[in-house]
Amino acid sequence: MGVEQAPVRNRYQEVVTRLYHSSNYDFVGVALRENQSPHLTRWIHVLGNTNERWRRIVLRRGIGLAGLVVQTGQPFLNNEILQLDYRNQFYCPIARLEQLTNVVAVPITKAPFNQVVGVLLAGYREHKKEMNDQDIQKLSQYLH
Amino acid sequence: MLETNKWIQKFFDRSSDALLIFQEDELVLSNQLARELLDQLDLKLTYLLQVARNKIAQQQNVVDNCFNCAILDHMPNHIIPLTLTTKTGQKLHYSITYQVLDEENEVLAIELKSQEALHRANELAQQKQLNQYVNRAYEDERKRISRDLHDSIAQGLYSVRMGIQRIENEKLSSDELQAIAEMVETQLDDTLAEVKGMALEIRPSVLDSFGLVAALKALTKRLQENSGVGFTVINQVNGTHLSDDVKSVLYRVAQEAISNALRHANPTEITIMLVTHPNFISLEVIDDGDGFEINSNKDDYNGHSMGLMNMNERIKALNGTFNIDSALGEGTTVMVRFPITKSNHQKEETINE
Repeated sequence: MGVEQAPVRNRYQEVVTRLYHSSNYDFVGVALRENQSPHLTRWIHVLGNTNERWRRIVLRRGIGLAGLVVQTGQPFLNNEILQLDYRNQFYCPIARLEQLTNVVAVPITKAPFNQVVGVLLAGYREHKKEMNDQDIQKLSQYLH
Repeated sequence: MLETNKWIQKFFDRSSDALLIFQEDELVLSNQLARELLDQLDLKLTYLLQVARNKIAQQQNVVDNCFNCAILDHMPNHIIPLTLTTKTGQKLHYSITYQVLDEENEVLAIELKSQEALHRANELAQQKQLNQYVNRAYEDERKRISRDLHDSIAQGLYSVRMGIQRIENEKLSSDELQAIAEMVETQLDDTLAEVKGMALEIRPSVLDSFGLVAALKALTKRLQENSGVGFTVINQVNGTHLSDDVKSVLYRVAQEAISNALRHANPTEITIMLVTHPNFISLEVIDDGDGFEINSNKDDYNGHSMGLMNMNERIKALNGTFNIDSALGEGTTVMVRFPITKSNHQKEETINE
């Protein structure tokens, strides 16, 4: 991670903290693409986690729920995420590691072309609440 | 009518089961196979008859608690397993089926089915199922590769081309140029990673150039990044000679076992142990996931994985052994062993890590 990325990183850490504390989400996390080649996308800050295994994950473009957000620039939500098989296109490793049953993820974009540089994800455990479009809006608002 | 009788007679004679019909204690009718069999066997007909009669007596025994038992009534037509010895001492396994044709005149039909034939038929059926699975797996793999090529590689290259076109055709500020260059570079990095990952899944070239341990490390590194599950490769095989076939199978077993664990077992850690013993090499894939109840029947992995059954076939072909140990809540261990000799005449490779 380059030096110039530190402020960006801090900014999204703060987004995660604000969102986590002002909502009833069980888990909030942000993944950002590194500035340096090979430009890996990793989770940089999470709250509500039960273990540290999230640090091992590298998000693949187009693979998994968060990977699809990165690839398409579209938000996604799923309320039966743990039912999905490892080979499923929407399989979400962080949901598996953190036992999240309902997840929502929105893209983090960057000017001037709105290219996707990361993902903001929130989740519930034990089907506490269903995710819907309002959750997508809520997450997007926190990014602006 | 006469014609039909001839057919029935022919059918009776050529049946693949030995057929005998008795009236009282006399053999009235027997087919070709039955006569051949009796010729081979050191067997008194009265013995066969007695076995069948005892069975009937048993089933009609009022003292027996099983009389009129609902389960017995559902049992398929009174099958009795029987081992017969030929004159040369060879043991043949048969099942006897009998039917009372005429109770008043004490007419009894006995059918002798060779269990070897039944067993063989079962084996063939299993083989057929396995072949079908292999074919389907082969097609599925091609489908997946094709989809990956189209969805991620082609898509990635397409957006790179779009980026370069914009640089060529649009008047862009230096900030915008910078951003597009970054986008293109990122996209190419992603695509490159994807190609490498696909190559690793299809057939790792490291397996040929740097050996099994390097290939397993590359595979587990990628899977750890994809899943967040922790992987440890323990290697104690320095200087062991392995044939290419054995290396490939060991790699595939590890791949299949890991894939099963990730799909079904919900593990947090997976350990792969490769150890050389005096006469054999062993590979163990140990996960700390949910585990499952192994069916007592060793030939059937609880319907858990045709993939592993297929592996078992490949392992057997190379004189290896294959075993799964698991219990609910206790994780699963998949273990493979191959015999090793120092004087391996096949193309050899020395593992050095």
